[in-house]
This record gives sequence, C-alpha cells and structure tokens, in this order.
Amino acid sequence: MADLRIFRLRVTFCKQGRLALLSHLEVARALERAVRRAGLPFAISQGFSPHMKIAFGAALPVGVGGLREIFDLQLTRYVSPEQALEALQAASAPDLMVKECHYIEPGAPAASVAYPVSTYRALLSCTPEHLPLVDEVTVVRKKKEKTLRVSDFVVGDFDLAGAVVTFSLEAKPTGSLRPDVLLRACMDAYNVLDAGGEPPVSFTPIANTSYEPVNFAEAAAADCEPCVSGDALHVVSLTRIDQRA
Amino acid sequence: MTDLWPRLEPLLTDAERPARYLNREWGCVYKPDAHFRFCMVYPDTYELGQANQAVRILVNVVNAVEGMAAERAFLPAPAFCDTLRAEDIPLFSIESCAPLAEFDVVGITLPHELAATNILETLDLAGIPLQADERAEADPFVLGGGPCAFNPEPYAPFFDAVSIGEGEEAVPEALCLIRQMREAGESRAAILRALAQEPGWYVPSLYRWRSEAEAQEAGSWIEPVEEGLPVRFEKRLFTGFAESSGWEPCVVPFTEVVHDRLNVEILRGCARGCRFCQAGMMYRPVRERSADNVVESVLTGLAETGYDEVSLTSLSSTDHSQIADILTRLNRALDGKGVRVSVPSQRLDAFGVDMAGLVAGQKKGGLTFAPEAGTQRLRDVINKNVTEDDLFGALDAAFAAGWRRCKLYFMIGLPTETDDDIKGIASLAQRAYDRAKAAVAPEQRGSVRVSVSVALFVPKAQTPFQWDGQITPEEAQRRVNLLRHSVKYKAVDVHWHDPSTSFVEAVMSRGGREAAAWVEAAWRRGARFDAWTECFSEEAWRAAAAETGIDPAAVAQTSYPVERVMPWSHVSTGVSERFLARERRLAAEGRTTPDCTFGACSACGVCPGLDADNVLAAERMAPAPSVAAAAADVAASGEEAPRG
Repeated sequence: MADLRIFRLRVTFCKQGRLALLSHLEVARALERAVRRAGLPFAISQGFSPHMKIAFGAALPVGVGGLREIFDLQLTRYVSPEQALEALQAASAPDLMVKECHYIEPGAPAASVAYPVSTYRALLSCTPEHLPLVDEVTVVRKKKEKTLRVSDFVVGDFDLAGAVVTFSLEAKPTGSLRPDVLLRACMDAYNVLDAGGEPPVSFTPIANTSYEPVNFAEAAAADCEPCVSGDALHVVSLTRIDQRA
Repeated sequence: MTDLWPRLEPLLTDAERPARYLNREWGCVYKPDAHFRFCMVYPDTYELGQANQAVRILVNVVNAVEGMAAERAFLPAPAFCDTLRAEDIPLFSIESCAPLAEFDVVGITLPHELAATNILETLDLAGIPLQADERAEADPFVLGGGPCAFNPEPYAPFFDAVSIGEGEEAVPEALCLIRQMREAGESRAAILRALAQEPGWYVPSLYRWRSEAEAQEAGSWIEPVEEGLPVRFEKRLFTGFAESSGWEPCVVPFTEVVHDRLNVEILRGCARGCRFCQAGMMYRPVRERSADNVVESVLTGLAETGYDEVSLTSLSSTDHSQIADILTRLNRALDGKGVRVSVPSQRLDAFGVDMAGLVAGQKKGGLTFAPEAGTQRLRDVINKNVTEDDLFGALDAAFAAGWRRCKLYFMIGLPTETDDDIKGIASLAQRAYDRAKAAVAPEQRGSVRVSVSVALFVPKAQTPFQWDGQITPEEAQRRVNLLRHSVKYKAVDVHWHDPSTSFVEAVMSRGGREAAAWVEAAWRRGARFDAWTECFSEEAWRAAAAETGIDPAAVAQTSYPVERVMPWSHVSTGVSERFLARERRLAAEGRTTPDCTFGACSACGVCPGLDADNVLAAERMAPAPSVAAAAADVAASGEEAPRG
C-alpha cells in the first residue's frame, strides 16, 4: 500500500540577520512556502486536511539565529540533491537560505531528536572581565514557576573570550533550557554585581580567556571595548552555530 | 531617506510579534533609487492590513511607474505605538524603515468607519500635521481613498485630497501630476488646485462647508472658494478590470495575517441590490474576469508565492457566470498538491452549497448564511431576494453533504422592523435547526449546531437606506432581549455585536464635515483602534461630543425624507440619487428589484453615467426557477461574508 521507496531529504538552512527575530512557527511556514515555490515533488499527508510532509528540527526562540538549522522533507520521487538545492535556493530569502541537502535513511531519527546538543555563540555589548554563570534559572511554564538547574543542561565548557560567549546545551525529554533565558539571567546577575548588589541566585564566575576580539564575523562590527562600570551589559546577538548528537 | 532600523532593532526583542516590522518578506519590491516616493498606509496593524487589496493594488501600480517607489506602512500594535512615542521614533515604512514624513506622498486607505481615529494616530506618530491646512511645503501630500471616501466629509480636514472610486489609474495619474509640478517648483497650493481638476479627486480645503439651511437651499453642502472648481465628484472606474490579469504580485508575510493566502479577485461589483449594502452600490457595474484568466492567475500566483490556499474573492463569487467551470478546472489542476480553495460569499441556495462542496473536500467545518431578516416581509423591504425555501433548500443540501454547523447572520433595526420581525428571526433559526436535524442520520444529530449572529443596522451613505436613522442603543438592547427570549432551543446560540461601536459607525457614515472635530476630540481623549473590542472607549467618544457640541445621536438616528440633501450629495458612485429614492419607495411598499446581471436593467444609472457596462464572461444562468433571484452569502468556515 504505502510507497515502497521513501525519499527523505534532510535540508540545512540558516536563520540570520533580522530574520533571527522570526518565531519557530513563522520559520516553518516560510520554509514550507519556499518548498512549494521551488516546485519540488513534496509528499502530502492523507486525511481531512492534507498537508506537506515536512518536519522541523529543534525550535529556536524569537531573536536567536542559527547557522545550521534542519528540516526533513519527504518527496514522492527522486530529485538529485544538487537539483533540489538549486531550486530551494532560488525560492528562499537571503536570511533564511537553504545551504545544503542530502538524502537520509527512511528510518533515521527525526530532525527534532537527532541532534539534542546545541552550541550557541553570543556577542555581548562589551568585554567583561568575568561573567557570572547562574546556577539556576526560574522560568514560567503553563503559569507555573519552575526552577531549572543550569548544570543539568550545560555540556562542556562555558567559554568567555573577549565579548564572545560560547556554550552548549542539551535538550532533555523533560524540557530544555532556553539559551536566551540563560544569558539574560547571567546579564542580570552581572549588572546587579556591577551596581554593588548581590544577585538573587548563586552563580559561578567565568573568567575571560581573552581580551582580544575572536574570529567571529559579528565581533568585528560591534563594540568590544572592555566593559565600563555603570553601562548595562546585554546580548547583542545570539546564534546557534551547531547541532550534534 | 533616514534609516530608522538601527534604532528600531533593539526594541524588537521585547515587542509582540517582531515579524510585523522586519520587511524582507517574499515578493516585496524595493526601489531605493527612485526619486519620487509614495507610502501606502493601512491604518491598523500589519496583521489586519497586509493582505488588504487596496494596499496590494496601489503599491503595484505605483511601483510600475518609472522612477517611482511605493512602500507600505502599518500602525504598530497599541503598546508599540507608545514605545515609539517614548523613544521618539516616528512611524516608519516597511521597505526602507524610513519616516513617513520623508515621503513625497502618503496614501491612507479608509477601509471602514471605525478606522477614523487611527488616521490621526498614524499622522501624529509620523509627525505630520493632522490638519491639511497646517501642512507646510516640505510636508508630504496626504491622500485618502477607499470605501469610506464615498462620504469623505468626516475625514475631510485631515486629507489634502481624496480619491473617489477605483484607484488603479487615478492614483498613479495624481502622483505623476504632483511629481511634475514639484519638479517645476510649484507651490503646494498650486499643486492642490491642479489636482482638484483631475477626475475623481476631491480637494476639501477648496470648499467651504455650508450650514444646514444653506445646504438645503443650494442643493449641496460644499461651496467652492473660487470660480472654476468642480462641484460634483463622480467615482473613477477601472474599465480594464475584466481583461487585466487576476494575478497581482503580492507580498508573502512571515507572520500570520488576516486572509493569509493567495487572493484572486475574480469579479468586481454586485448588482443584487440589497438596499442596506454600500458595497453593492459603489462597485457597480459588475465585471467578471474570464475562467481562463482566473485559472491561469491562480496557478501562477500559487507557484510564485508558495501559498497552500487560494481565495476567489469578490462580493458574490458564486454569481460568476463560469464559477462551476473555474472550480472544476482548479480541482483538477491542484489535485494532490494539498491546496485549499475557498470561495467567500456564496449564494444562499442549493447551487451555492454545491459550489461550497466542490472546494470543501473532506473537511467540512461550518457554513455561514446571511438571510439578514427574519420574515419574508422584511427581506422584501431590504431587497434580499431570498425565500425561506431557498434557505431550507440550502440547509438540506449542506447537512446532507456533511456539514454539521451553520451560522445565520441577521441585522436588527432595519427600516420598518417590528417585534414580529424579531420573533421571526427566532422562529427561522429554530426551524432551520429542525430542518438540519432532519437532514442528518439520527446518531449524528447531537452534533448539529445552529448559531445566530446579530448586528445592528448601520445606515450607509450612498444606499437607498441612507435617509433612515439608526435605532437607539437602548432600543437595540430591548430588541436583542426580545430575540433572546424568543429563542427557546438550547442548541441555537445567539451572538450579539456591541451596539456602541455600531453607533459610531452610523455617525461616521452619515456625518458631515463637523464630525471631523468629534473624531479629533475623541482621539485626543485616547480613542484609537476602535475596531478592536478591547480598545474601544465609549467614554472618549461621549466626552468628545460634549466638548465639541456635536449631537452624534441626531446624526446617527434622524430619519429624513428622500428630498433632503445629504452631506455626501456632491460625491457620486454613479448610482443616481433618483434610483436610490425609488428603491427607498419600493422598500416602503415591500416590492423587490431583481439583479440586472440575471435579467432586465434596473436603471440604477451607473452604465450611462460612467459610460460603462456590465462585463460578464458568459451568460449568467439561474440554476433553477425557484431560486432565480435567490442570493445570500454563504461562506466556508471561518470566512466573513461581506457586510453592508
């Protein structure tokens, strides 16, 4: 009954520039429309409201960009990856551009669970000597406050080099820690300390490994001067630079 | 032009739906090098305005002119309006993120009566003087147009010029004139005088507003301030509509908006002649795009935009002479592509339901029917040429075909309405429910739902009911209570629209130039986004009336004889005043007038007056004799039927 041959195309794209401000739903809709514009032979689900068989990787929050975002698209016939890439690129906005595509096994894990570890890179408004990495973050979920232990989610080092922060977070089946929420809590703690106060949560100081601007495209364009006391530290941009298993 | 993006961007992380302000949507046109710049404003948020037809059409036609750029602008949501004020950032266009005040011309569409205060909010946020006579040489020209321009007076002081009728040709012509005269170094005053001579353009500042007695004596409310100015403004008609392509390049928004789909206008105008309906008067004559044009436009549009839904728009899409052919061909061409076709405003008969069935596929949500009145007597008064048999025939067909929910639209406060007509609504809804239940299998009867939606009649300028006053909000409340008590079935829900906004609509629809002071006073007291239930402030409007000495109740509620000169009598839709008066008399006698596209001419005056004709792609055929004149608005689930 079902098609014996399933063509599952895994597509990598970026979300950058001002389009980093799109929500996950907006990105999904824009990409689905790009697939239609590209004229690819996408598969359609059966049932009362037929829709495109497309599945997206882990969501990015509003305001967070991504260099290697993923969606899987099911096709009804084989199209060479080069051809598919060309068609998709012609139908995509520059800041939501398809970068690469290849076929994956019909049984391969879905894009949303295949890469639980995400690495993020943030550019700060100035270069701090230390950054307080908060131990806990309180979030509101379904109108209930919930406290998340940061160490449950952080994988590897939390690195501060100049005005650039790089860190990895792992998504758990029970939930995830949003990178923007974590950084905002760290910024708040820094600014409270800077004003001579005591942050409401405990933290671990992260020392800066370098005052030199690192090789990061946006760092060049931004003001990476050492922080001056009294100026609020904030995140200029936040990007997911990689996703892995 | 100033680029406000660097100042805007840091504010967006905390803004609701930043995608409203991002630009760079698929299909948007950016002409940074054009010397002459036009900004088209929809006076509400991006979600409500992005899919607006006037914005789409006018941006396209202006961008098509060599050396001209058209950009879009919308009002931010209320909270972000306040943020912009606090940060001292003026209202900006989407494409360039440039201040509106830096454009040569700003066009604002007037989509409905509750957008009036948002026009002032737009101008104020943009830093453009509110009153046309306060604007200096360097300020942009502020042009208005759209449905509400057919009574331009309540908006008159805020606009340099108002476009009457269809803008496809009138707007680029006016912009070319302004550009040419500006380049020649002409003054603002000279440019406006020249514009006043262009067909379809009304320059309010060149006309003094008369008193009631003067106006009735002179036969017009406006008096030119100098010799040689036109005193009557006939609407512009886009005569090339039928031949022009139904595919109009459009922007594909990132964030979800109202009518977020490919919209293909398949016909313009409706000659059914419902006597309360302004759209039915102002878009005449009827012009159909051919089936070939429509099908090709839909397929091209879907390929260019990537939308998975297309709506075949018009005031009465199932009246298109080739609608069955169009839908059959589209179904064939789109099979297996997961594209939904929707047809708003279908007629209230078995044919309408057949057409709804052609596009509904397996998913059948709700159907909406608009009998408008509860008794045959009152339906004849309003010329809603629909019988109970038509309605029940449609219900039988719909419920047998698988629909389980139906919504019925009615108006209360229609001219000549009595308590019997109100009870008639309850009776009709209950019998409709019985009928629907009988049409489905016994085990499915529990899922049958009928709901009744009631709105207060708003007398509209340029209709046969323009002379009829609105009932008071108290009387409206009494009639709604009567309706509620008359509905005995628990399965029939009654929904009721707030009468205080309908009151403001009536004042804006029937008011003269003095209403503009009321609008401005209300805006100064905080009224804005009046069409949003949660933002509407009745108190601001009431206090504004007290402050300006205007009696809005008299404007909304007074009934006049048909001889009275109304404040919009200098503006014409092409429908003759004689026709409107005759229709009002026939209404009083309970006599109906048939639709001229299905039979004889009803002598409304449009064709001879505008030197035009109905353009039908084929002969219109009534599907069965009993429903020859039957029409109503049936919409697939979630679609609003056009309202008077």
